[in-house]
Amino acid sequence: MRDPNLIATPGADPATVRVTFEYVAWATVWLLVGTTLGLIAAIKLNWPEFLPYAWLSFGRVRPTHTNLVLFGWSSLALVGLALYVVSRTSRVPLWSPRLARLALWLWNLALLGGLVTLLAGVNRGPQEYREWVWPLAVVLAVAVLIDGYVVYRTVAARTLPEVYVSNWYILGGFCYLPILYVTSYVPFYQAGLGNTVVQGYYMHNAMGMWFTQLALGISYYAIPRLLGRPVYSYALGVLGFWTNLLFYPLIGAHHFIFSPVPWWLQSTAILFSVGMMVPVWAGTGNLLLTFKGARGAVSRSYALPFFVVGLIGYGLSSTQGTIEAFRTANIYLHFTNFTVGHSHATLYGFIVFIAWGAVYGLVPRLTGHEPSPLAVGIHFWLALVGVLTYVIAISVAGILQGLAWVAGQSFIVSVIAAEPMWLWRTIGGILMVSSHVVFATNVWAMRPRSITVAALSPDAAGMPA
Amino acid sequence: MSFGGLHTDHRAIVAAAVIVFSILTLVMAVLPGLREGALTASAAATPREPEAERGRRIFMREGCGFCHTQFVRDLPMDRPYGRPSQPGDYAREDPPMLGTQRTGPDLAAVGTRQPSEAWHLIHLYDPRAVVPQSVMPAYRWYFVEKDQAGPDDVVAPVPAGHAPAGKVIVAGPDARALVRYLLSLKQPKVSP
Repeated sequence: MRDPNLIATPGADPATVRVTFEYVAWATVWLLVGTTLGLIAAIKLNWPEFLPYAWLSFGRVRPTHTNLVLFGWSSLALVGLALYVVSRTSRVPLWSPRLARLALWLWNLALLGGLVTLLAGVNRGPQEYREWVWPLAVVLAVAVLIDGYVVYRTVAARTLPEVYVSNWYILGGFCYLPILYVTSYVPFYQAGLGNTVVQGYYMHNAMGMWFTQLALGISYYAIPRLLGRPVYSYALGVLGFWTNLLFYPLIGAHHFIFSPVPWWLQSTAILFSVGMMVPVWAGTGNLLLTFKGARGAVSRSYALPFFVVGLIGYGLSSTQGTIEAFRTANIYLHFTNFTVGHSHATLYGFIVFIAWGAVYGLVPRLTGHEPSPLAVGIHFWLALVGVLTYVIAISVAGILQGLAWVAGQSFIVSVIAAEPMWLWRTIGGILMVSSHVVFATNVWAMRPRSITVAALSPDAAGMPA
Repeated sequence: MSFGGLHTDHRAIVAAAVIVFSILTLVMAVLPGLREGALTASAAATPREPEAERGRRIFMREGCGFCHTQFVRDLPMDRPYGRPSQPGDYAREDPPMLGTQRTGPDLAAVGTRQPSEAWHLIHLYDPRAVVPQSVMPAYRWYFVEKDQAGPDDVVAPVPAGHAPAGKVIVAGPDARALVRYLLSLKQPKVSP
């Protein structure tokens, strides 16, 4: 059965459609590469002699995996969708799709460079998500600035007086990431422990000030659009924007609790980790309440279930993050695989499911081509069962490690205790990667055909969304 | 309160986002970073010899820091790894590798805990030759298998069954440098 919520959007400007689809398509390529590398890393903890080559050794594959899924898959998918959302909510065609396409190729250039250099062992040491050497970082920063400029000009050209709440989040994300990224690479305040202070700040903010911003911005457009009803509360959306901006930047140091990093910084981080419950539940609650009384729509749509999972994932995994920041929990959980479980719960259970919901919910409207609902269902269930298996297994592994350490046992006891859970983690990972292959075929099925693009009338571009 | 001007003014939204985030970046990252960086090295901390410094770069190249911390907390479970880490321990480290994961044990004082060069060479060639349940990668690409060791060769005394029969395992320059680095990881004494 076709998605009854799918209504053709004749107003979409063909150039905007093309460039959005190109972002999503390239994101999908990086998803396949990045998660295959993740799976290889997972298998190596079960069979350390699996693929025993220098370029594929665990310590090189791990950062390659994280950087590709963060900057390749998640960022490109969200940027592509955000370009479409700002265009629709501003009711104008995207300002300069050509510049957006140039930015896409800069992203790809940086990502390819990152893939090759990290596997070759050229890096800046284990500084999470900023392992790339600086020339690649410059290329990426320029790409983000170009995309940000295109977004800004599109919003500036809007035909409505109001800036829709989606665009608050999206504009915010494009302001924060360049500041954050430049701060993380400029060296003069990063001698000794100064580097660690910046590391905690950077790696945490990269999540909440970039991925969360774009994912929420896209959700505030896509969910009301798919449900055909307004967002539950516009004011809660704006509250979430401000509280996220005020609280999130204060909590990075919770990655270095009990470290020689100043105590006031650690305590501030713990305090505002609790404060983060305000924007988190304002966002989760607001968007979930938008579904109130629309259960039928969810069961009839193949895109909306992804949003439901993503929103629940946002609320639960963020709450988990707050609890992890407490010193008592930190004693048992820090340094363990529990952190790996948390990062997958947030990135995959929240950001990635939102991105998928938006791809399935919006791209068919643009291109006029739907994937097979059965294939989307297979994708959904493989990904959901896969990530649940992954997160539960790796979290149990983390708890077992923590208990072994607190009991003062020999280190290898924690490795032996985690082994069976690592196998379950690999099984979850296989399901996840399989779902990505199905997703890739679905993206292919949604591709714009030349005939469709011709059929879209550009003069309808100013039509209400 | 109405959102007034902001609501309809994209410039104001962007300005507010940039200004607030820049101030928080300054207060939470740049200023504490400067202050921490200004802390001087522990009196006992000495610069590394060049070979150990080269070993540190190999340690970074192989991403060892993704599984091994160099960060001892003041908690009972961290006692086996050394004394609690202090800011001065990282004064000469660029970058300091405190780390976020312990898939393997902490290395802050591994040079004190495990001072044997032979042990480290065997362990790098095949970790399972010394710790059967280990999941660490084997770094065989830093070793050469020879029929006979030359006069200047450093041999890794790998036990039978973990190396090809009839071969000797000779440590390449990178394996030797990496071990130099690991042995250099000793926590400097702190005066009370």
